[in-house]
Amino acid sequence: MNNLIYLFCITNTPPPPKNELESQGLVSLVFDEFYVIVKYVSDDEFSEENLKKNISDIKWLELNALEHVRVISQIMDHNTAIPFKFGTIYNSEEGLRKFVSDYSDSISENIQYIYEKEEWSLKIFCDRKALGEKIDELSTEASELEKQIMASSPGKAFLLKRKKTDLVENEMDRLCKSYGQLYYDEFRELSEATGLNNLLPKEYTGREDTMILNATFLVNKTKVKDFRSTVERLKEKDLSSGFFIETTGPWPPFSFISIKEK
Amino acid sequence: MHDNIIDKSKDVTILELLDRVLNKGVILTGDIVISVADVDLVYLGVKLMLSSVETMEQLKAGKARKELKEE
Repeated sequence: MNNLIYLFCITNTPPPPKNELESQGLVSLVFDEFYVIVKYVSDDEFSEENLKKNISDIKWLELNALEHVRVISQIMDHNTAIPFKFGTIYNSEEGLRKFVSDYSDSISENIQYIYEKEEWSLKIFCDRKALGEKIDELSTEASELEKQIMASSPGKAFLLKRKKTDLVENEMDRLCKSYGQLYYDEFRELSEATGLNNLLPKEYTGREDTMILNATFLVNKTKVKDFRSTVERLKEKDLSSGFFIETTGPWPPFSFISIKEK
Repeated sequence: MHDNIIDKSKDVTILELLDRVLNKGVILTGDIVISVADVDLVYLGVKLMLSSVETMEQLKAGKARKELKEE
């Protein structure tokens, strides 16, 4: 029996027509001035115990997480909607109604805040091998030391080279930080709000290069074009130095919602 | 090459997807929610089985196809 309520998003403008929602198993509940997009789900999948079990099944999780984003994106095509976290479940309509009513001011504020905005994710990676090859161009200290090496006797050059190995590592760390900051500042200029996420290790990214920035930006729809052309510009500029830019979006603004009790 | 390169060339990994839908969003709502500890377990699972999923573009294309079919 489908007796649990799975919450996708809340909007304050009419969602797609009933039959369009119904064909996808969705229902729009109307509480006060809000349209609350939900689906009824079963204990078998979404009870506390079963949900916990299911989310460790990556295939199940992937399918349902995709569905979660797809439904919200679809509603957001024509509405401003607050996206809820995956697996937000209510036991009863009354419980959900109470939540909406208790937090109505904050829900309205959040809808207003994200109006006409999109979330974009930006990850910067550094290929340290490529950066290392360009280090004499990018670091004065490294190029100075290189000059000394060239001018030294073989014995001294040997020692200086060892010194340079350490210096290059430090200089690469420094450059990664300063490039990361530059990128962040550049995109912050074009955004309404920003957020920083944890840097993910290689085992998670499945990439050879190192993540140096993992940020998320709330971008006004009017600025999206600029945002994307900036990505292209920086991509071209810094790729040869080993910096790679990855962006995804538009996402529902998951990272920029904050519901507070009144 | 210049238009849509972002959508087209970038696979949204499952990690990226989960990063958004699990960690973010409204906090402390719902009678049943996935706790932080559960999320850590999920990440462990992802680490063991890193797979690429559809891009947002494909998501949208899939939706567009669906809309077309319905019309």
